Formats: sequence, structure tokens, C-alpha cells
Amino acid sequence: MRGFIAFSKKEITENIRNYRLLIMLAIFLIFGLMSPLLAKFTPQLMEALMPNLAEAFENPTALDSWTQFYKNVSSLGLSLTIILFSSCLSGEYAKGTLTIMLTKGLSRPAVVLSKFSAAAVILTVSYWLAFGVTYGYTAYLWPGASLPHVFLAAFALWTAGLLYLSILMLGCVLFRQAFTSILFLLVVTVIMGLVEQIEQTAGYSPVILVSKNIDLLSGTVTASYFTIPFIVSIFTSAALLIMSIVVFNKKQL
Amino acid sequence: MKDVLSIKGLSKSFGTQKVIDNLDLSVPEGTIFGFIGQNGAGKTTTMKMTLGLLEADGGEITVCGEAVRYGQTKNNHHIGYLPDVPEFYNYMKPLEYLALCGEIAGLSKSNTKDRSDELLSLVGLNGVKKRIGGFSRGMKQRLGIAQALLSRPKLLICDEPTSALDPVGRKEILDILQKIKGTTTVIFSTHILSDVERICDRVAVLHNGNIAISGTLSEIKTMHGKERLLLEFSQKSEVSQFKACEKIKPLLSQTEESGTEIILQGKDIVHIQRVVISVLAETGLCPSKMEIMESSLENLFLEVVM
Ligand SMILES: Nc1ncnc2c1ncn2[C@@H]1O[C@H](COP(=O)(O)OP(=O)(O)OP(=O)(O)O)[C@@H](O)[C@H]1O
Ligand SMILES: [Mg+2]
Repeated sequence: MRGFIAFSKKEITENIRNYRLLIMLAIFLIFGLMSPLLAKFTPQLMEALMPNLAEAFENPTALDSWTQFYKNVSSLGLSLTIILFSSCLSGEYAKGTLTIMLTKGLSRPAVVLSKFSAAAVILTVSYWLAFGVTYGYTAYLWPGASLPHVFLAAFALWTAGLLYLSILMLGCVLFRQAFTSILFLLVVTVIMGLVEQIEQTAGYSPVILVSKNIDLLSGTVTASYFTIPFIVSIFTSAALLIMSIVVFNKKQL
Repeated sequence: MKDVLSIKGLSKSFGTQKVIDNLDLSVPEGTIFGFIGQNGAGKTTTMKMTLGLLEADGGEITVCGEAVRYGQTKNNHHIGYLPDVPEFYNYMKPLEYLALCGEIAGLSKSNTKDRSDELLSLVGLNGVKKRIGGFSRGMKQRLGIAQALLSRPKLLICDEPTSALDPVGRKEILDILQKIKGTTTVIFSTHILSDVERICDRVAVLHNGNIAISGTLSEIKTMHGKERLLLEFSQKSEVSQFKACEKIKPLLSQTEESGTEIILQGKDIVHIQRVVISVLAETGLCPSKMEIMESSLENLFLEVVM
């Protein structure tokens, strides 16, 4: 526990000094601001650029604002997060900086958990910052608009974000290079997508947490549709973290 | 005397290459132990296994009575370790790094602070305010020694602690090692044999995955060392005349000759001296110099390794 706290503090310092935290906050803040603005002003833009197509973009609503938010965050936002954190262990392997830490009595599980926690905290702060900004801005631009399950939809994507981080963690522990960890994550993501395609397992995959958020807001799906993917996601994350620890315990540094 | 470190039947292969082969080693408390061997002999490998950083194929390692297990770090609070090429977090300053080490090792904040200041001035880094990223290799080596000593370990393992240091730095580090001898047992590997002769009580030479020779310095020298007798004449012809004597001939099996010098070697130096002196008296030859050359660790090392 002592080692975990000390090493987590080090992780946070590291993320501040190598600007990861700053980049994350900046990216997500931009997404938070941009989503409602894009929704609001796309019709005007379209009118100016392509007047004959503008019909389709008329009367943007709060739902359009959230559509932008989920599109931006689930694709670009999460990708950038993954890219930024994919080097969290490879740098330590390459330089051998963990050696002295371990000889000071730092346990290997503490290394994995600290790395994950730091990434999770930074993602959480950045994500909810973006959510808060979009929420406030949407309420300001479309006063009186009320959508169901605004928080639940956001919570679903956040859970998925943490799942992606734990997949990445296992990748980082398994492979020495950041690039390979990202490939690993891609492979797992494709598998999760396939699980959703198969008839027998449709409705179980955590992919739902990143793809159906808008359907929840528009009322196309009900909240209960998210229950199973949510539970699957939590348990998968936990299992992945445990696997990461087990693998890391045996890893030659 | 209690053994701080004992290794029994240790083996380690990398692929098909057997690096350590059934190695036995024990290091008694309170000694400065020199661990020598050629490049690639397996010194670093042995040290890493002692710290649980590398998995052994077989054998047992005990530190302060506790068995070392790969991947587990709880034994490590007894040990301070200086890696061969110490690497730190470049974005930290020396005091921050030591604070992190102290926190992980479970030292109190004030204790860490005092100890850090003390150690940084001991290794000559006091007042250095820049980030570690801007350190030279020798400075990193010094910081490495400071972190290794931070929690006053019972056993200090240094992998070539003096390799990156200038002559002054080397002397300082050797002095530090000697100073902590009372409280800390030191194992260090090195290629600089004069360092070993200067501060070590015991040495072990690692060769072909095994300890070729070990013991106290004087034990090793008397047991394995050959003593040498140097004779210098004023003319070359005198050397040949000396060699032509019947009594000298049996001693000539391992001589080295250069110019007017001749060096006789053998296990029983006293016998050689007697023979030589009687021959000199009989022939009337008169050397300009006659000297017993002490066997050096370097000669010994070469003999073992060649
Ligand atoms: N991770 C590894 N994978 C494969 N071979 C290795 C590995 N580490 C060490 N070796 C091999 O093991 C042998 C011993 O290496 P080691 O680093 O222990 O030598 P050393 O005695 O410390 O040498 P030096 O004096 O150069 O520091 C070498 O032949 C090296 O090539
Ligand atoms: Mg070495």
C-alpha cells in the first residue's frame, strides 16, 4: 500500500512533467466546447457552403450536440488517450528505471496498479470536464430541452474508457513496445465488435457502451439494454487488471 | 561469523548458453567482498538473481537468512543495489528521487530528508539543483550510490561502482565503501584489480559459471600465487653463463627473459633462492639486482582466466 501510494504520486508527477495531463485536459476541453458549437452552427455553415444540402441540417437540437460529443469523444478522444498512455510502461522497460524502484521494495502489483490508477484518474478528470462543459453549453444553447438518461449515457462511455485502459494495461505488460500494445488493444476491440455481431452473444459486448449512447438519449433503447454490457465491462476490466498483475509478476525486466 | 549472503547450487542459462553453473558462494557479515571476472562472466547476472530481478534455473539464495524469490521484493529492504548502469527518472531532481526511494522503502519524511542531504554531500552532489536528465554518467553513478545507501542496508551490492568515475571520484567512492564497512557488508564487482587490493577483505573470481578461486586476499595469494625471483645482470653473456649451470637448469621451466633480466618462478621460492645464491657463489657471477616479486592479483586473475 505504501509503495502504491508513493509510486502513484510519482506517476502523477510524471504525467504533469511530460505534459500528458495538460494534453488530455486540453483535448477533452476542446471536445467539450466544440460539440455543442458544431451542432449549433453546422446549419449556418452548410448554408454558406452548400446551400442545396442545407435542408437536412435545419433546426439542430440538444440531441445533435450530444451526438457530436459522443462521436468526438468515443473516437478521437479515446484514441488519443490510448496513444498517450501506451508508452507508460515501455519507457520504463527501455531505460530500466524500474530496477532501482523494485530493489527499494516496491512490489510489482503496485507498479501495475499505480500506472492504471494514474491513467484512470486523468481520463476521469478530463472526461467529466468535457461532459460538464458540453452539458452546460447545451443547456445554454437549447434552454428547456430535456433528454432522458443524460448522465447514464455519459457513465456508460466512461466505463468503456476504463475498460480500454485496462486492455491497454495488459498490452503494455505483455509487450515491450508501445506500438504492440496498441495493436493488442485493436485486436481486442475487433473481437468485442465481433461478439456483438454473433447472434447468440448480441447485447452482451461492452461495445454497446460506446456505440449506443445516442440511442439511449433519443429513447431508441432503454436503460436496461445497458445493464449486461455494463456488468460485463466491469468484470472484464477487473479480470484484465488481475491478468496484468499476474503477467507482470513473472516478467523479466 | 554469520553469512549475510549465501548462494548454493545456483544455475542460470540464457537459451543454450549456460552462464552460471552450480555456483556456491557465501559472504560473511562485515566484509568487503570483491567479485571479479571477465566481461560476460556472469557477475551482473548473479547480482540480479540475488535481488530477485532475474529468475534462476536452480539453486538457493539466502539474504540475511531469508530465501530470495523471483519477482518478490520483500527481501530487498536488507539490500542496497547499485546497478551497472543506474537509470533514474530524468524529470526529477536528486532530492525528489531520494524522497521517492525513501517513501517506497518506508522511511519517515524527515529521516529521508536528513539522510538524503547527508548522502548527497557524501557523494559530492550537494547543491546540485538540476534535473537528473542533465547528469553526466559519473554523476548518475554517484546518485546511484546515494540511493543504494539511503535506508542503511545490511548488504550493499554494487555492480562496477567505479567504472564511470574519474580518479578522484574513484578514490572517494572506495573511501565511502571502506567507511561503511562497520555497519554494512559490501559486495562489489569490478575490473579494476587495484581497487580490490585496496579495500577488499575477500575476493572471488568467477570463471566459466563457477567460482574459480575465493578466500581472503592473503589466503589466495599464498595458496594460488607463484612467487617470482628477478635477477638482473650487467651483461647478456652473464645471463647465458648463469643459465648454463647444471643446478639452475631444473628451475628454468618457467622463466621469463628480457635483455639482461631473468625471472625465475616456482612454488617454493625459498628453495629457488638457496639454489641461486649457491650458484652465484660457485660461479662468481654477481647480479646487479636481485628481487622477490610479490604475486599480484592481476597475475592470479590472468592465470585463472587464460
Ligand atoms: N537478458 C539476457 N539475455 C541473453 N543473454 C544474456 C542476458 N543477460 C546476460 N546475458 C549473457 O550472460 C552472460 C553474462 O552476462 P553478465 O552481464 O552477467 O556479465 P558480467 O560478468 O556482468 O560482464 P561485465 O563485466 O561485462 O559487466 C553474457 O554472455 C551475456 O551475453
Ligand atoms: Mg556486468
